[in-house]
Amino acid sequence: MIARTEPKSVGEVFALFGRLYRENGPLGFTRLALTLGKTPTPAGRWWLWSVLLTVVAGLFVLYQLFTVGHSAFNTSSGGVVWGMPIATYVYFALISSGLTMIASLGTVFGFKQFLPIAKRCIFLSIITLVAAFSVLALELGHPFRMIWAMPTGLQVMSPMFWMGIFYTIDLILLIIKFYLMWQEDWESPLSHAVGVAGFVAVILASGMLGMVFGSMVMRPMWYGPFTSIYFMLTAGLCGAAAIVVTTYMAYGFNRNAMPERLRAMASGHDLPMVFATLIGLTLIMFVTRFWVGLWSNLDGMEGFRLLVRTPLFHIELWLGLVLPFVMMLMPGLQRRMWPQITASFLVLGAMFINRYEFVIGGQMIPMFKGTWAFSVPAYTPSATEWALTAMGFGIALALYAGGEKLFHLSDLPPHAEDVEVTGQLVIS
Amino acid sequence: MAKWGMVIDLEKCTGCQACTVACGMENSRLPGEHWQDVIFFNEGTYPNTQLKWFPRPCMQCENPSCVAVCPTKATYKSEEGQVLVDWERCIGCKYCMIACPYGVRFYTDEKPAYGGPDMKEAFPSDDAHSWTPPWKAPQEDWKHGVGVQPHDVVSKCTFCYHRVSKVPAGTINLDPSDPKLREHTPACVVTCAPGARFFGDLDAPDSEVNRQIAAKNGVRLLDHLGNKPQVYYLTGEGASVPADRAVKPKI
Repeated sequence: MIARTEPKSVGEVFALFGRLYRENGPLGFTRLALTLGKTPTPAGRWWLWSVLLTVVAGLFVLYQLFTVGHSAFNTSSGGVVWGMPIATYVYFALISSGLTMIASLGTVFGFKQFLPIAKRCIFLSIITLVAAFSVLALELGHPFRMIWAMPTGLQVMSPMFWMGIFYTIDLILLIIKFYLMWQEDWESPLSHAVGVAGFVAVILASGMLGMVFGSMVMRPMWYGPFTSIYFMLTAGLCGAAAIVVTTYMAYGFNRNAMPERLRAMASGHDLPMVFATLIGLTLIMFVTRFWVGLWSNLDGMEGFRLLVRTPLFHIELWLGLVLPFVMMLMPGLQRRMWPQITASFLVLGAMFINRYEFVIGGQMIPMFKGTWAFSVPAYTPSATEWALTAMGFGIALALYAGGEKLFHLSDLPPHAEDVEVTGQLVIS
Repeated sequence: MAKWGMVIDLEKCTGCQACTVACGMENSRLPGEHWQDVIFFNEGTYPNTQLKWFPRPCMQCENPSCVAVCPTKATYKSEEGQVLVDWERCIGCKYCMIACPYGVRFYTDEKPAYGGPDMKEAFPSDDAHSWTPPWKAPQEDWKHGVGVQPHDVVSKCTFCYHRVSKVPAGTINLDPSDPKLREHTPACVVTCAPGARFFGDLDAPDSEVNRQIAAKNGVRLLDHLGNKPQVYYLTGEGASVPADRAVKPKI
């Protein structure tokens, strides 16, 4: 058994893989890769299942797209034209944005207590954006055409164009930032500048994603400058919930297995305070949005009345937002592990419902559609759309587990006080 | 250069749907993919109810929100005012369908809207076209969204671009009763039995469309949204332009 520290360059990574291949042969190497090394780790347990989920769901989606095409979706020109895959894209894209914001607390704004989660945040931000783009690519009619048609079209009036630009810049800056952290460069002027630029990019990207919806004056359930702010702030909540869940996952939902600084953070006051603040802000915006929507007579706002009658709305509000908010406020619960984990899972579930009801709900009142669209469109995601969503979750989980194995995601800046190096990668 | 516009006289429209059928035949549309449609709806509550209908082509807006949102410039405004889709640039993101207040854009890679057999399966295509209609008009011009479209793109009314673009220069009224102009006039205008549709140059002060708009107080659908349609409705005494989405959901 060879104990290794994190490989420090791309060359080392390939050298490691090459050596493992020579030592174990093709079959052994495949087995090692599939099991992420022989030594089981908490995160590694998620790997096999998530890879399986990605492969099964992905193959099903591809089979449907190649044989049936996008008719396998339940979207319709008569009503809901953006279905669950778009909601899933928004969900993951905003989780990614939120994670960058949370990472920036430590790396940009100098809240040192949040440094122990910064590297994991940046890594998760990259992979959730990859999951978001993967889902979007399979939703689009011609994803490859987009690669040349967007830069040559230069439609600067389109919010979607700018969303693409800023999320691409965001992804590039995240990869650079992660590379620098990987090289233990956390605090050089370059690294700091990349962090600041990344934060600006992610604010613009999530704001622009909000504007994709918020600029639609003909769809009043989405319209308004509020939408961009709503997306930015709820992204922060999604990021916070995602980092709490994944950090605990990495240590097998056992706080005692964590390095000291991380453990101190998890059991301290700051984490529940930030988390509760973000849930509170989301609750305020959520209630405001529905309050205004239910009160207004404007044509097209009727969808709010439809939404509050669905069980999903109440699950989201009471179980997914109010309950975690209370849990994170109660002194007896807020610093304990299981309430934190439960609250995070509930919030992640609630925010998925939130993105779904935002995207679908905004299209429930049909336009001047004509003969075939008489009433509110009935939309239920098809098996292919569910599989595409499952694939998104699979990709995010699999890449997370892989990253947990390859990198030390709980790393601190090299000169930070009380650095504790644990959790070394062990590959036999 | 003309700026083509249409005037629909709601007092004359009988809701016969001949325009819808003519459009479907002219442009080889799928059932349910009604670039031009007549929407039927009820107003009032029992016993004071009215059955109403409202013909609705693409408004070919002066300030089209669908063009502004298209991330690839696949949707564009032609020099003569038609809003067209370049099917070789369209990525099928459907943002234009979200942004169109009039619901006149269609994505045909979806389940049939009308409950009948899927015509794309009944008449499949063995090339890049999304299907092979049993009868098909000869014209095809994917750069202008004319003909049977390929898979995974958005389609819409072109104001019969393939007909109108060949009109003799200087024409300001496309009157279907003039044999020389009939083949250049949009199919829905040609077929309209009560003569409720007028087509002509909105930039020419003396055109019939401008005369009708001025004489009968032409109005535009959902004008408050700022898209400035190039389709005008004459409401007269017996008809009205719906102020909202026409199909009132029961909530």
